[in-house]
Amino acid sequence: MRLHIILRYAAFVLLFNAIFFLISAAISTLNADSAFFPLLYSAIISALFGIFPLIFVPSTTKITNKEGFIIVVFGWLLSCLVGAIPYVLYGGEFTFTNAWFESVSGFTTTGSSILRNIENLPLGLLFWRSVTHWIGGVGIIIFVLSVLPSMGSAGMILYRTEMSHLAMDNFHYRTRKTLQILIVIYVGLTLAETISLLLCGMNLFDSVTHSFATIATGGFSPKNLSIAYYKSAYVELVIMIFMVLSGIHFGILFACIAGNFDGIWKSSIVRYYILALITGIIITTLNLHGNQFQSWTEALRYAAFQIISVGTSTGFATTNTSLWPSFSQLVIIFFTLQCACAGSTSGGIKVDRIVIFWKSITKRIRQIQHPNAVIIMKVNKMPVDNDVVEMGIVYICLYLGIVFISTLLLTALGVDGLSAFSGSATTMGNVGPGFGMVGSMSNFSQIPCIGKWILTADMLLGRLEIFGLIIFFLSKSWK
Amino acid sequence: MGLRIKILSGFLILTAMLFIAGVWSIYELSSIGISVQRLLDDNYKSINAAKTMIEALEREDSAVLLLLSGKWEQGRSIMESADSFFQKGFEVAKNNITIPGEQEYVNDIESNYKTYKALWIKPVVGTKSEGNLSWYFQKVHRAFLDAKISVEKLMTLNDETMYRTASDLKNRAHRAIMPGIVAILSALIFTVIFNYLINYYMVSPIIKITEGIQKFIKGREPFDVKVETQDELYHLVSAIQELCARSRSSEAAE
Repeated sequence: MRLHIILRYAAFVLLFNAIFFLISAAISTLNADSAFFPLLYSAIISALFGIFPLIFVPSTTKITNKEGFIIVVFGWLLSCLVGAIPYVLYGGEFTFTNAWFESVSGFTTTGSSILRNIENLPLGLLFWRSVTHWIGGVGIIIFVLSVLPSMGSAGMILYRTEMSHLAMDNFHYRTRKTLQILIVIYVGLTLAETISLLLCGMNLFDSVTHSFATIATGGFSPKNLSIAYYKSAYVELVIMIFMVLSGIHFGILFACIAGNFDGIWKSSIVRYYILALITGIIITTLNLHGNQFQSWTEALRYAAFQIISVGTSTGFATTNTSLWPSFSQLVIIFFTLQCACAGSTSGGIKVDRIVIFWKSITKRIRQIQHPNAVIIMKVNKMPVDNDVVEMGIVYICLYLGIVFISTLLLTALGVDGLSAFSGSATTMGNVGPGFGMVGSMSNFSQIPCIGKWILTADMLLGRLEIFGLIIFFLSKSWK
Repeated sequence: MGLRIKILSGFLILTAMLFIAGVWSIYELSSIGISVQRLLDDNYKSINAAKTMIEALEREDSAVLLLLSGKWEQGRSIMESADSFFQKGFEVAKNNITIPGEQEYVNDIESNYKTYKALWIKPVVGTKSEGNLSWYFQKVHRAFLDAKISVEKLMTLNDETMYRTASDLKNRAHRAIMPGIVAILSALIFTVIFNYLINYYMVSPIIKITEGIQKFIKGREPFDVKVETQDELYHLVSAIQELCARSRSSEAAE
């Protein structure tokens, strides 16, 4: 493992952050707010750390897959650390723990916040907060499209299913191809949503920040009431459409734009994803009608927004779901655990694994019925190895195990059961809001300090697909 | 890039981190000083003026009661001294408008005090108002309360602003300290990275060159040291390789 090469590429991550720090500082200057110095100083620190390895370490494009993996994970953790600097410098509600929580929540595109009064924050810092989502989303795309497919183990093969040709290329080429996808899909979707929101009457700042949060499936809003603040069905509709799109594998979206429209409907993963969302919306609407909302339109409007928001791991809110009936809350918890497609910016277990899980159950039943038959499990008409199935099931078990352990730890710290479980599930799935004291209209400020560290660990574990973070911290990976 | 620039860049970056943190801390500390001064000048002065006015109003209220009971001389003397005391406080408040909305409060005090003064400035002793408690409670005391409430409003406004400024001072103190802490931690991390890179790109190649030369001298092994960078060390290696090659060829000629 060449540490200096890792330093050189991590430096690019820091410089990328520094550019956005400067943009945020410029916004701060335009609004004459108090976040200018914290943002400027963060930009300087980030830039100085970024420039130095570039001076020392000569350029190279020969990067091994292992180094590529370490670069992305290290770059991510570094971004979380550097991203907390402006919060720490600004002070107010931001202690170091709170700043770390907000930064990790931003970069992992979770969208959970410790802020009691978001609107009290200067615009420059609010912009930076949304930018962390957007940069985090860029990191996710690079991670899932160019790093994970190269890792070879069964758990990572999941990402090859949709983009198998990419997995066969070398790291450097894959990264170039990923950047191409990023520019077309990620930047394109962000611009399209910003324009759509502007047309809905939202101001430029809010449009940009909400677009950043939607495309990255983050959930940070510059408003205390999140999307409920706008009381606009058009705004909700636009955000819903872009949330659904952001939950689909970016490779499929790229293929769609390239002219292969059939691909999106041929993918059994996407079909399940859309079907699951529609089913979730219908059953929640039925449950909410007459219970929370008197008209069908209202019930459908709020149910659709909340289910899509949670089902894509975005986490925006238009209503307080903590007041919803238990059935609707359980539907939301299901989507909090499942989330959207692999290869998108979404978190959670991912529909791909759920599909593999259900197919493996079907296969097992058929195997019991016909003990001598050779049954091959297929996803998207491609055979799936037993290793992939096993790894998928192990991942789901481990995922739920971690949620259970962090729930246990949070309750030991005095957090009530519902808040602890939903808080753990929502941070592990990078969704954002939970129930109880961490509900869609509340925040994580009341969680004890140690609890916040547990939840940030959940966010990182969930975002880096559990094994990603474990492998990074194992000394063997660095040899 | 040359070794000198590389080493210099490391030290320059360290200096820049500490310098900027220092400048920012100084700026924030001087801002704290200015804020404290403003706190005293703007708010504390107005609060004191409001206290003076309230005390004067209460003395005037007692003086009115003395007048009602027929004690003309005693009542008038207290009244006059209290009035001048009130005017003193009012002048301070009037000339110290620093908060948005403060002007309206001062105008309110002025008009309410005028109404109140108009009631007691006229003679009371020897008129039908003497001993008339219902006149006092219905007119004078109400006017007194109106004037007092308007002064209290001014005091509350300044109190709240003072609290906000003090809270802001807490934040500013935090902002004065944090750049220093961030700079120190950054400098520590930077020193570790700087040390690693110096070791990898400078110290290690020098050790390798030394070992290569020693091997060449002792065992006539070929000098085969490779340097990744295109700096002075690379040129040094090239020069040594040439020297070794010439030495070999001259030996072969002998």
